[in-house]
Amino acid sequence: MTERLRALALADWFGLLLVVLVAGTALAFMQPAFLSTYNIYVLLLSFSLWVLVALAQMVIIAIGQMNLSVGAIGGLVAITFAGTMQVWGLPIPLAIVFGLLLGALCGLFNGVITHVSGISAFIITLATLSIFKGINIGITEAQPFYHIPDAVKAFGAARVGGVPYMLVVPVVAIVGVWLLFNRMVLGRQILAVGANRHAAELSGIRVGRVVVIAHMLSAVLAASAGMLAVARLQLGQPTIGDDWLILSFAAPVIGGAILAGGHVSVIGTCLGVVIVTLINNALVLLGIDPFFVQLLLGALILAAVILNRWRERRREAFA
Amino acid sequence: MSIRVGLPVVAVVGLLAQGALASDTRVALVPGGPHPYFAAWADAAAAASADFGIEAEYRVPSAWELSRQNEMIESLVAQGFNAMLVFPGDAVGTNSTLQELADFGVPSAALAGCTVDPSAASFCLGTDVARSAYLGTKELIEAMGGSGKIAHFTGFLVDPNTTLRIEAVEQAVAEAGGDVEIIQVIADIDAPEPADEKINAFLAARGSEVDGIVTTAWVPAVVAATSLRNLGDQRIKMVGIDHDAVVLQAIEDGYVHGTMLQNPYGQGYIGSYAMDLIRQGCAVKDDAPWLETAQTARFIDSGTAFVDAAQVADYQAAMVAVTEEVMSTFKDDFLDCN
Repeated sequence: MTERLRALALADWFGLLLVVLVAGTALAFMQPAFLSTYNIYVLLLSFSLWVLVALAQMVIIAIGQMNLSVGAIGGLVAITFAGTMQVWGLPIPLAIVFGLLLGALCGLFNGVITHVSGISAFIITLATLSIFKGINIGITEAQPFYHIPDAVKAFGAARVGGVPYMLVVPVVAIVGVWLLFNRMVLGRQILAVGANRHAAELSGIRVGRVVVIAHMLSAVLAASAGMLAVARLQLGQPTIGDDWLILSFAAPVIGGAILAGGHVSVIGTCLGVVIVTLINNALVLLGIDPFFVQLLLGALILAAVILNRWRERRREAFA
Repeated sequence: MSIRVGLPVVAVVGLLAQGALASDTRVALVPGGPHPYFAAWADAAAAASADFGIEAEYRVPSAWELSRQNEMIESLVAQGFNAMLVFPGDAVGTNSTLQELADFGVPSAALAGCTVDPSAASFCLGTDVARSAYLGTKELIEAMGGSGKIAHFTGFLVDPNTTLRIEAVEQAVAEAGGDVEIIQVIADIDAPEPADEKINAFLAARGSEVDGIVTTAWVPAVVAATSLRNLGDQRIKMVGIDHDAVVLQAIEDGYVHGTMLQNPYGQGYIGSYAMDLIRQGCAVKDDAPWLETAQTARFIDSGTAFVDAAQVADYQAAMVAVTEEVMSTFKDDFLDCN
């Protein structure tokens, strides 16, 4: 038991868990409504969406690259999901499959171009961000798709107590990505490519295949987030995804991911999302002056990152 | 190609391309980027083309970037457009583009948003955002029975109009004589996901405490209307802004008290009419009844109208009525055509 606690305390995400517990307790004292059923529901709804966005970026960080088009893919899939149901009358399951396939196709495009051209994914996804967003605007002409099936709307609003139905999707994604990185060969190969691409190549890993699969996985996660956003917002808004970029990087980095690649933490990323969600929630609950919200948000995220890194360094020093 | 180098070239090409259309007005309505607010400009352009015998077209830059808007304007001049109605991509930055247009004899006006003076724009035709926010808050206070606590949800803080809106809401509340209190202002929620996150967090924390909500930006209005519907809350009174289908439906269903229309249709229609008259030789009067704003001394209010459940089924009639009211005196008030 003591050994287990010791192992838990040494985990790279343990500091983040402490931050979450301390912040949650403080918020509960400062604003009793924080623990209300409805606020728990609101927090879990935000978590549901943002964790998919963060995982989408985390997978690419693992291979030592960046995906700037996460939001654009999510937005394109969101309007496609809504549009195929409204305009073509596709049944919901088919529209979901169509959305996931479109996401995978976007990821395939990103991955193949990145690998074949040898140009940084930063540059490639900067360009594809514009392409995917351009297709989105070209299709919608900036007008939302309003006629979302009632079942999708109901799914976006349904809950049991404080737990939204939507949480099922990210839970499946978290378990899947955790298994990938901790129990599967492909996950290890992704991390190996991120840690040292040349060494991975020499050890027989087909780097191109790994890069393409990572981009496809990232895009499918972004696509899932886009479709969840449609269910939550109850319309296919063309601006879905426009605001995802900062959080997509913030949560994995808070969670201990190394931007150069080779090390990511699924649990750390989830806790990173929880921290950002808590901060956003707290800024509203505590009625912070809107002109200082951005400042405080940035400062608190920075503080969380520094605290976690400081704790890791101390742990390494004592190891 | 920079705008300075580009416009002389494209202007010549455009004038050559125009050929037989030399005496006709071809006006382009160019927003800052894609946004549902501007969709009514397309209808306005079509109506103006039919009513005034001009060619008016709505052209949207692919993203909210000043450079893309400038490139589009260059391209439109090359295609023979000889008048521009522009939502400024940047209140200061757009001025150099409008000056280039003026240098090549292409008149322009700022539409729905203003450029900062001095500007080559003939005028700025848009919503008096402060008045709209003020009147919307007044309507809300009346719906609340003259007392209670309200929340204000608004847009980008970097938009100077947001500050004007916040101040206007405060003014309306101050005039209520202490019976009304603003308990929270939530801003920077022009993207749907953060709007959903923050508005619902507010409702979780203070939903039982708040009596009214006023929204002064498109996305917060849509998200707040959806949240009240999801909660099934018809106790909290809400006054929204603009004419998104979600907001209009929520008014019809009793979840939203009303909305402040901004008349984008009228902006496009009247703007096109004015550009045609200016191209025919009318001059903008110096002594017209201009309104003065923080950005310009040549502001024309395109009108605003409150729509509640009684008028929502025919909300376009309210826009047309406001447009007709502005149109009825526009030529005499603002232009000298002798």
